[in-house]
Amino acid sequence: MASLILRNVSKSFGNTKVINSVNLAIEHGEFVVFVGPSGCGKSTLLRLITGLESVSEGQIIIADKEVTHLKPSRREVAMVFQSYALFPHLTVAENIGFGLKLSKVPKDEIETRVQEVAKVLRIDDLLARKPRQLSGGQRQRVAIGRSIIRDPKVFLFDEPLSNLDAALRVVMRIQINRLHQRIGATMIYVTHDQTEAMTLADRIVVLNEGKVEQVGTPLDLYEKPANKFVAGFIGSPAMNFINGVVRSVEGKPAVSMGPLKIGVKNSTLQAGTCLEVGIRPEHIEILSPSQSHLTAKVDIIEKLGAESLFHLQTEVSDSLLTVRADPIISAGVGDIVGLNFPEHHLHFFDRNGKIV
Amino acid sequence: MEKSNWVWRVVFLAAPVAVFSLLVLWPLCSSFFYSFTNWNGFNPNYKFVGFDNYAKIITDRLFLNAIINTFIWMVSAILLPTLLGFGFALLIDSNVPGGKIFKSIFYLPICLSAVVVGQIWTWIYQPDWGLLNTLINFFLNESMNFAWLAKPDTSLGSVIVAWSWQQTGLSMVIYLAGLTSIPEELLEVCEIEGTSTWQKIRMVLVPLLTPATVVVIALSVINSLKGFDILYIMTGGGPFHSSDTLAMHMYNESFKKYLMGYGSAISVVLFLLALVIIRIYFRELKRIDEIYG
Repeated sequence: MASLILRNVSKSFGNTKVINSVNLAIEHGEFVVFVGPSGCGKSTLLRLITGLESVSEGQIIIADKEVTHLKPSRREVAMVFQSYALFPHLTVAENIGFGLKLSKVPKDEIETRVQEVAKVLRIDDLLARKPRQLSGGQRQRVAIGRSIIRDPKVFLFDEPLSNLDAALRVVMRIQINRLHQRIGATMIYVTHDQTEAMTLADRIVVLNEGKVEQVGTPLDLYEKPANKFVAGFIGSPAMNFINGVVRSVEGKPAVSMGPLKIGVKNSTLQAGTCLEVGIRPEHIEILSPSQSHLTAKVDIIEKLGAESLFHLQTEVSDSLLTVRADPIISAGVGDIVGLNFPEHHLHFFDRNGKIV
Repeated sequence: MEKSNWVWRVVFLAAPVAVFSLLVLWPLCSSFFYSFTNWNGFNPNYKFVGFDNYAKIITDRLFLNAIINTFIWMVSAILLPTLLGFGFALLIDSNVPGGKIFKSIFYLPICLSAVVVGQIWTWIYQPDWGLLNTLINFFLNESMNFAWLAKPDTSLGSVIVAWSWQQTGLSMVIYLAGLTSIPEELLEVCEIEGTSTWQKIRMVLVPLLTPATVVVIALSVINSLKGFDILYIMTGGGPFHSSDTLAMHMYNESFKKYLMGYGSAISVVLFLLALVIIRIYFRELKRIDEIYG
C-alpha cells in the first residue's frame, strides 16, 4: 500500500512555476530523501505535502485518502523543522506533549507517552529543561519527539541537521536511521547534503528546477544516473565530465577524447556523435606515465588521510580532473602522471544531458 | 595615550552628567530636602519639621483617596491599552482588509500631546453638544445631557477611556513588532498540530509575546505614573477629588495650597513607588530574558 502519492503536483508563485508536475509514490515504511541544489523546490514539495502551501495543480493522497485541500492538521503528518521550532516558554516535556495537550488527552497519558518517547530518543533526563538550556542535537531530538508522539502517517523532515556541526550531524544521522528502523514509519527527508541522502535513504528523489530528475535507490543513482545532472549531483567529489566524439575503430565504436581513444561495448553509439563522457574520481586510475596513453600534470593535492584528491591538468579537458587515489601514491605537485579510464566505469551523455 | 583617553572620556561624559545633574539629580535631591521642611514655595525663612510631612501623609484623607484613585488609574491605564493594543495587533496581523489604514489611524492619537487629547475628549464628553451624548441620543432616541466629567462616579473612568484611546496605538505597534518577530515555523507547528484560534492565542501567542508585553506594560506604567496633564485638562482632579491621583494631589498641595514641603513629601512617596515598580520590572525582564534570550 502506498503511503503517499503525488499525482501531477505543481505549484506556482505568481507566474513562476516552482514545482512542475511531480509524480511520486512512496510505499509504507519507506525512507525517501528529496535532494537537490538550493532553490530546486524540495522544501516547497515538502510543504505542499504538509499542507503549509496550497497545491496549484494535482493531487496528494496520504494513506489512500485525498488530502489535497485538507488543512495540515487533518493530514496526519508531522514535520521536523531545520530550526527545531520549539516553543521557548515550554519545557522539553511540554514541547513533546504539545499536540496531545491540544487534543485534550488526559494528563497521565500525556506524561506516560512523553516518557516513552523521551526514552527512545534518550532525552528522558532533560524533560524539565527549557529549549534554551539544550544543545542543538538535544533540541532536534525534542523536535523529533514532538513529531513521533502523535503517531502520524508520514514524517516530514526539512533539513533537520543543517544547523548542527559536522560531528553531531553524523551522530544524529545514525539516530534518525535507528529511529526509522525502530518505528518503521514512512519518512520523507529533505536535504542538500548528499551524504545524508545516500546514508539514510531507501530511495532518493533528485529534484532540479521543480522537476524530478530521477528516483531510485542510492546505489542506482550512483551507478546508473539517468542524466548528467544526477551524475554530477550524486557523488562527492563530483563526477568528471570530458567532451568526446564517437569514432569507428576497426569497425567497432570507440570514444575519442583528445589523444585518447577508448573502445566501448555500447552498441547504441553512432560514429560521429558528440557526447560528454562522465567518470567518477574514484574510478580513474593513476599509473606511471609510461604505462598510459594519457598523461596529466598534478596541479593540487588534497590529502585527507584515508585518501588523497588529485586535481590534474590534462589535454582532454579544459577544467581540472579530480581523481580520488590511495594516499600512498607519491606524486607531488607539478609531477606528470599517467591516467587510465576503465571502460566499464564510463557514462555517456548526449547533448541534452541524457544518458546514452 | 592612556591619559589622553581618560581626558576625552571626562570631556564627553561631562555634558550629559551636567544635564542629568541639573534636570534630574538636583530636583530629586531638592524634593527630598524640602519634604522635611514647611517651605511654602516662596518664603526663604522655612523651618525643618522632621518627619511631620510624612506623618501628615498617613492621616491625610485626601492622600488615601489619591492612592486609591492612582491604583484604579494605573490598573485601568495599563490593562485597557494593553488588551486593546493586543487585540488590534492580532486583527491587523491577520491581514484583515484595510489593516494598513487602520494601523495608521489607531497610531495617530499617540502623536498628539495629552493636552490636545484631553481637550478633544472634553468636547466629546460635553453634556449638551458633545459627540458621546449626541450619539447616545441618536441611537436610543433620548434627550440625554449627562455630564460625564462633572460627576464623581464617571469622571475618572471618562479620563481613563480618553487615556486608553491615546495609548492603545503605542501598544498595538509594539505588539505588531512582537508578532512579526515570532518565527514562522512556530506558527506552522500550530497549523500542523491543529490548534484552534483560541488555543493559539492562549498557549502560543500570549507567551511568545511576553517580551512585547513587558515593554508595553513598562511604558504603560511609566506613562500612567506621569499621567498628569490629561487629568489636569479634563477634570483638574475633581469633582470632589474623584479623579485626584497622586501626581494631581501633589500638584494641588504644592502649587494651589502652597504647601511645597508637604507636596515634596508626596513626590518622594511617588518616587519610591516608581522605584518599587521599576525593581519588579527589571526582575521580570531578567527572568524573561533567560527564557526568550
